[in-house]
Amino acid sequence: MAAAAATAATKGNGAGGGRVGAGEAAGTRKKKGPGPLATAYLVIYNVVMTAGWLVIAVGLVRAYLAKGSYHSLYYSIEKPLKFFQTGALLEILHCAIGIVPSSVVLTSFQVMSRVFLIWAVTHSVKEVQSEDSVLLFVIAWTITEIIRYSFYTFSLLNHLPYLIKWARYTLFIVLYPMGVSGELLTIYAALPFVRQAGLYSISLPNKYNFSFDYHAFLILVMISYIPIFPQLYFHMIHQRRKILSHTEEHKKFE
Amino acid sequence: MDDLSHGFSKYPGLNGFPRPAPPKTTKKPKKAVLFFEVEILDAKTREKLCFLDKVEPQATIAEIKNLFTKTHPQWYPARQSLRLDPKGKSLKDEDVLQKLPVGTTATLYFRDLGAQISWVTVFLTEYAGPLFIYLLFYFRVPFIYGHKYDFTSSRHTVVHLACTCHSLHYVKRLLETLFVHRFSHGTMPLRNIFKNCTYYWGFAAWMAYYINHPLYTPPTYGAQQVKLALAIFVICQLGNFSIHMALRDLRPAGSKTRKIPYPTKNPFTWLFLLVSCPNYTYEVGSWIGFAIMTQCLPVALFSLVGFTQMTIWAKGKHRSYLKEFRDYPPLRMPIIPFLL
Repeated sequence: MAAAAATAATKGNGAGGGRVGAGEAAGTRKKKGPGPLATAYLVIYNVVMTAGWLVIAVGLVRAYLAKGSYHSLYYSIEKPLKFFQTGALLEILHCAIGIVPSSVVLTSFQVMSRVFLIWAVTHSVKEVQSEDSVLLFVIAWTITEIIRYSFYTFSLLNHLPYLIKWARYTLFIVLYPMGVSGELLTIYAALPFVRQAGLYSISLPNKYNFSFDYHAFLILVMISYIPIFPQLYFHMIHQRRKILSHTEEHKKFE
Repeated sequence: MDDLSHGFSKYPGLNGFPRPAPPKTTKKPKKAVLFFEVEILDAKTREKLCFLDKVEPQATIAEIKNLFTKTHPQWYPARQSLRLDPKGKSLKDEDVLQKLPVGTTATLYFRDLGAQISWVTVFLTEYAGPLFIYLLFYFRVPFIYGHKYDFTSSRHTVVHLACTCHSLHYVKRLLETLFVHRFSHGTMPLRNIFKNCTYYWGFAAWMAYYINHPLYTPPTYGAQQVKLALAIFVICQLGNFSIHMALRDLRPAGSKTRKIPYPTKNPFTWLFLLVSCPNYTYEVGSWIGFAIMTQCLPVALFSLVGFTQMTIWAKGKHRSYLKEFRDYPPLRMPIIPFLL
């Protein structure tokens, strides 16, 4: 779902301005866009993020070749993964100050769900780090993010190759379910260890008259995927139809 | 235009009686009664939904909405938004047709606001819930706590006090909804009732669970803390009620007038000197008092969420006051004196 939200929610890391909700291809819309300083900053940001996720991708490949197996590759890319995924928190700030025309709420939701998975599940429950499900979502995220950040970079420079647009609005069809599966399996794998250790949980009695069961919370998170994932997925499919068919029409008339 | 040669207009005048025949056209028409035509288009599809002819120039938007409902009964007036521009603001019910910037053929755009529900209904439902739900926890009905605690009573005085305060608070809200408040709008979208009830009922259950729990821990500073917090709670409840009464007196029954509220003889209303929405200030104060009294984190969180929402509302209200009244007192802040 963090994977799904990534592509669905963000309307454009400063993609020239116009709301993605109406389709970036809506050429007749007046684009106000961020100023030149903000644009320069956003280009740098998106380039750095593209590079970061490429580093993670390369790291995965190298580790696979060195080890000869795809198990426990998490450890080889743990640091850049944490760094660049956490860095995405800046995107919330970008929306808040208005240089990116996305909803702060939607972007927060998307980034926080990723950060949650990285820190509150994978990092916190060490036993889960050697699970194959981790690789599943890391690969899904890596491919998605490389395409997404390069998409924004090119959009900001007003030179978007059709291939990138196509990739962004097509690969999700496979990458979303892949990412969601990886995430759910990882959370599920973490459950027994959370329960055993009483991780992040507080029980009564205590002087603040409050209790929190992290195990139950994780189960609720898993359940929340049921209503949320289909919505995001079908939203992207709808966007795909709108944006990719519009571009083809445009091409026909050129 | 329409032929005025008919003896009677097809549409009765606004008093329901047939209109007498307008004077025959002469070289110098004395007082030509010019009727308007109103066409109503869908704001999104621009489809022509309705055409009204022979509309009185003094007809209000409310009357036009009623006429529109006749042809489209599923769109009762409360769910109609009519505007001059498809993307513009909704016209008010009291707006008069001839005072609008339209020609004699007026084009109005219609947007369906969705199923509507009355404010009173929403308020009563969302407030009755917490009242009832809290008591379920207070009386420890089965299946909430362990079976050995069924229908037992807490041994802490503060728990009984908290139940009284919480219950009286919601009884006050219910009574105010029925007898005090004067609503500007009759209705709100139906989905709001689900959203609002989830919020109020959910938090009430969450708070009540801990306060009435067999393992509840009373406040660290004992009776002193409880007494102080209770005083804060009671004072703020009286304050909140005073403001509601003052606001009610600002507006005569059935009207929608808006005036600047000012302090009255009641000392609780003197907060109007410093704040635009002292009702919200007192409400936050009440919940802070309740949080201190029960020393319960969920109550503090509820207060925080409520404070956030009320601040948004207060800022909006403050902005409208500033826009509407040139002479609005400059010292006032939206919700917290001097600060916010």
